Amino acid sequence: MSATLESFLARVYVDQDYRESFLRDPRSEAVKAGLSPAEVQAVMQIDQVGLELFAASLQKKRQKRCAKTDALKQQ
Amino acid sequence: MAVVEEDVVAAEVDSSKRSKDLFGLGWRPQLAAGILLNLDRVDLVEVIADDFFKAPWRERRALRTLATQLPVTLHGVTLGLASSVNVDRRRLDCMARLCEEIVPLSWSEHLAFVRGGGIEIGHLAAPPRCDETLEGTLRNLLLARRVVGVAPQVENIATLLDPPLSSYDEATWVAEIICNSESDLLLDLHNLYANASNFGFDPVAFISRIPGSRIRGIHLSGGKWVGRENDQRILDDHLHDVPDPVYALLEEVGARTEPGLTIILERDGEYPPTEILLNQLDLAREALARGRARKRTVVFREAAA
Repeated sequence: MSATLESFLARVYVDQDYRESFLRDPRSEAVKAGLSPAEVQAVMQIDQVGLELFAASLQKKRQKRCAKTDALKQQ
Repeated sequence: MAVVEEDVVAAEVDSSKRSKDLFGLGWRPQLAAGILLNLDRVDLVEVIADDFFKAPWRERRALRTLATQLPVTLHGVTLGLASSVNVDRRRLDCMARLCEEIVPLSWSEHLAFVRGGGIEIGHLAAPPRCDETLEGTLRNLLLARRVVGVAPQVENIATLLDPPLSSYDEATWVAEIICNSESDLLLDLHNLYANASNFGFDPVAFISRIPGSRIRGIHLSGGKWVGRENDQRILDDHLHDVPDPVYALLEEVGARTEPGLTIILERDGEYPPTEILLNQLDLAREALARGRARKRTVVFREAAA
């Protein structure tokens, strides 16, 4: 995995708009991100069910963290 | 960089010389009182190291005091060792300073990447299991060993997503890392159970791929099924009790390892009464003992043959 692929995956995991755009047209977003041909092929076949579940769990974690921070600020 | 007296720390953290299994809990503020009131049933605690990297002096002093009362292991969550990118040196320096201060039984990190291109993922992500991440992980483990003075134990992670671009199965990838580094395995049995369920492989075959002498730590926890009805997966959320298949896997570990393991029950929320967690530790003791009894039976049979 190149550093470029790592950056690409991190963005796909946490950025909902980017993820939706990627899922609409995986090849185009992967090429735009500068992935190698092998990486483009690999992300075109990404485990979409797993991706959506993982992204949802990350979002839940972020919401929990925000709620905790807000509670601390109110103390 | 923190200067670590390598020999001193190495002597403290070399768990392979210990002949007793230690059972304990992940240290969380919500569990603190319950743990301290039950030190006859809790042999050690595992502390999230990153919480103390920039902690005020008072909190670090409290951690030092805790470490004088019972053995402590330090567990990292943000180093991101399993990456083609070099591990953040400042975070490693923080870990080194904390290890020097606390002198833990051992320290550990996950086989995960946690950021990329300046974006913090906010959780552990499974890297593609390929040669690049294998090389990057080994490089990062060497640096971690050099900076901290002792190699970290490395933990297999749970994943909901089968990582793209993987040319190795998980067992091969983890075994390659263990066999080509000084790092022993912190085997998270719920992570293993979750991945085996999610992606259809045999968790016992996974355990068999790792040399028993290189499994030094165990994590236990619970999770839940998530997703659509026709494609559900197990989420390792640490909010539920340890399920029976995880105890069965612990028995398998017992049949393949020598005493000297540290077994930690992790719980990160929806905390039950302490007694419920202590009972789960008792179940873990029983499961490991069953495995060890199986091992002794095999040894006796071989000796008699």
